[in-house]
Amino acid sequence: MISARNISKVFNAGRPNEFTALHGVSLDVQLHETTVLKGPSGSGKTTLLSLIGCMARPTTGRIFLNEREITSLPERFLTEVRRSTFGFIFQQFNLIKGISALENVMAPAYPTGEKFSLLRRRAMETLEMFDLGKRADARIEWLSGGEAQRVAIARALIHNPAIIIADEPTTHLDTRLSHEFMDIMGDLKARGTTIILASHDPLVYGSDLVDRVVEMRDGQVVDGESAL
Amino acid sequence: MTRMIERQRHIMDFTLAALLRRKGKNGALLSVYTLLVFILASILFFTHALKHEAALVLNEAPEIIVQRTMTGRYQTIPVAWSDRIRQINGVISVHPRLWGYKYDKDFLANYTMMVPAGNPPEPGSIDIGSGISRMRGANRGDIIAFAGHDGQPRSFTIRNIFDSESQLVTSDLILLSEKDYRDFSGIPEDQSTDLALQVRNPREYATIAEKISRMYPDSRPIVRTEIQRTYDALFGWRSGLMIVIFAAVALAFVIFAWDKATGLSAEEQKEIGILKAVGWETSDIMLMKFWEGSIISLTAFLLGTILAYAHVFFTSAALFAPVIKGWSTLYPTFRLTPFIDFGQVATLFFLTVVPYTVTTIIPSWRAATIDPDTVMR
Amino acid sequence: MEFRRSTIYMGTTAILVLSLTGLMLHAKAKVRASAPLFARKTAVVRQLELTDLCLFTEATYTRHLSMTDLSTPFQDAPLSLEHFPSGGLVGPPPHLAQKP
Ligand SMILES: Nc1ncnc2c1ncn2[C@@H]1O[C@H](COP(=O)(O)OP(=O)(O)OP(=O)(O)O)[C@@H](O)[C@H]1O
Ligand SMILES: [Mg+2]
Repeated sequence: MISARNISKVFNAGRPNEFTALHGVSLDVQLHETTVLKGPSGSGKTTLLSLIGCMARPTTGRIFLNEREITSLPERFLTEVRRSTFGFIFQQFNLIKGISALENVMAPAYPTGEKFSLLRRRAMETLEMFDLGKRADARIEWLSGGEAQRVAIARALIHNPAIIIADEPTTHLDTRLSHEFMDIMGDLKARGTTIILASHDPLVYGSDLVDRVVEMRDGQVVDGESAL
Repeated sequence: MTRMIERQRHIMDFTLAALLRRKGKNGALLSVYTLLVFILASILFFTHALKHEAALVLNEAPEIIVQRTMTGRYQTIPVAWSDRIRQINGVISVHPRLWGYKYDKDFLANYTMMVPAGNPPEPGSIDIGSGISRMRGANRGDIIAFAGHDGQPRSFTIRNIFDSESQLVTSDLILLSEKDYRDFSGIPEDQSTDLALQVRNPREYATIAEKISRMYPDSRPIVRTEIQRTYDALFGWRSGLMIVIFAAVALAFVIFAWDKATGLSAEEQKEIGILKAVGWETSDIMLMKFWEGSIISLTAFLLGTILAYAHVFFTSAALFAPVIKGWSTLYPTFRLTPFIDFGQVATLFFLTVVPYTVTTIIPSWRAATIDPDTVMR
Repeated sequence: MEFRRSTIYMGTTAILVLSLTGLMLHAKAKVRASAPLFARKTAVVRQLELTDLCLFTEATYTRHLSMTDLSTPFQDAPLSLEHFPSGGLVGPPPHLAQKP
């Protein structure tokens, strides 16, 4: 279980443009469930996701991952937790241009020093899961939008993460690709992966696989009711 | 251990991919850098080998040369001086040298004419340096004529041509007998060009030189150590061309460093953010930047140094020849013996690889420490 | 099978390092082998009482660099406006440049 206890995030603290993006948010996310953060633009969804995903630290409050406090870990351990626990899918995919799809999928694992042949095989298998085996050597720029999206998902899966975090994954996708994305998420969920999404796309938060919708407004959780 | 190596190799793979992505820019960078190293290394190799060669060869130069000046210009020296100089304690022998220059209008070349101390050609014949032989297409047994001091041509038969291996000292020489040279140059019997001294003990050079100056205030003694030091200082850092070249090299390097130091492109920063977000640490980013800098600079160093070696010692510094030749038409085509100062090569290595790598790493420090959540926006 | 980029790079670097090492060894061997050559060259210098390298034959004061002086104006002084290209190449002899 992921528990956020009374977390706040203040940007540019002490400066005239100081901004509090989260106000004492508390939230529990059950493992193996699919949770959607929903809310208007600027309500703090991305901020909350990045705190849960160990990308940044809250200004106050604490976050626990399976009872383990992660807020006060030094950077190296935080990176380690992020790498081993989370897989991220970004709004703009954030793939690295100029290198092949396969290398993009392998890149997160480079610092671990995993044996090349092994890593390559795993990356290849992950790509093949998404029918991308043939496009493995293609550069990112040459891929279609749907292919790029699947490469981004494959990259998030390279470490077999227990938790997938996706921020507005469908914003730049048409309806067909959005459905495809949710289908893939469904497969992952079926395999026991915890999924946390941020979205104001009804196609996402209205989907069958969503267990819980957390409604946010002005940096606070207004409604954390279960969708069922 | 294998993990550590594999991590290095993975990051190297990634860095190379990133470098290849900007093929044009990085290719140009590598070429220019290689060229800089090539020029620097060529200069270092060339001057070191030449200086070393000069030091070895001129080790046998006359120990003290005594010249005479009058109204601030060189004059022939009375042969009679040698008798008084020979009296000075420590002087073993004094030998009057006869030599001078001859400008050849037809070939626009300057020759050095000289009467050798031992084994002079018999009157009517000459020995010539291989440079002259090559330039004039003259061979042994050919007859060459030069106009003497009175304008009358005198012809000589070539007795011998110097081996080209000694070109660096003999290329422009014409050796002839004393009788011929006095007739040719008009130097009177009781005069010579200068005096060459043999001395018992090198420690007495200074005292003897001083005594000679006191004995003949218009004389000018030149000691062998001074001759040798002249060639140590040859192509020194102070000389004009070197200053220009090093200024150019330094300037180019500053431009590189500036380009690097003014920061990473937005694209590169974004990329660093992505890598951090997907699980790279600050140290991984720094490692990538380290490889980026060292791959370019190490390759430039190796390529530049190898090319410079080939240039200086296999092609006889062909690219420098036009510069060094200057206006001289007689230029020795000597093969330098590859005397290498390994300390110099090591210095070159540290000067090319370390600063460049550091200038690559430092500006990325800030980008590497950004929070990964920036890529979420 | 395609090689990894790092393999290609390290291979290339290894070849370059080996070449450079080879050249350095070449230099050592050449220097060692040149002893008789230098014996012959020094013999020539001794016999002919030579004082200078025949590098620049364009002017008298560049042909015999060690024989130049400071007392002949507009020809040999280190600060004189240089006429011949080689003058811009070589520094003045140290025994002239240094103040007594
Ligand atoms: N680095 C930052 N510095 C200052 N303010 C920031 C920073 N990051 C986010 N904010 C502010 O915090 C607030 C919440 O941002 P956040 O990105 O979490 O909203 P969001 O719910 O994801 O919105 P959207 O639906 O538009 O993506 C916004 O008003 C934003 O301007
Ligand atoms: Mg957002």
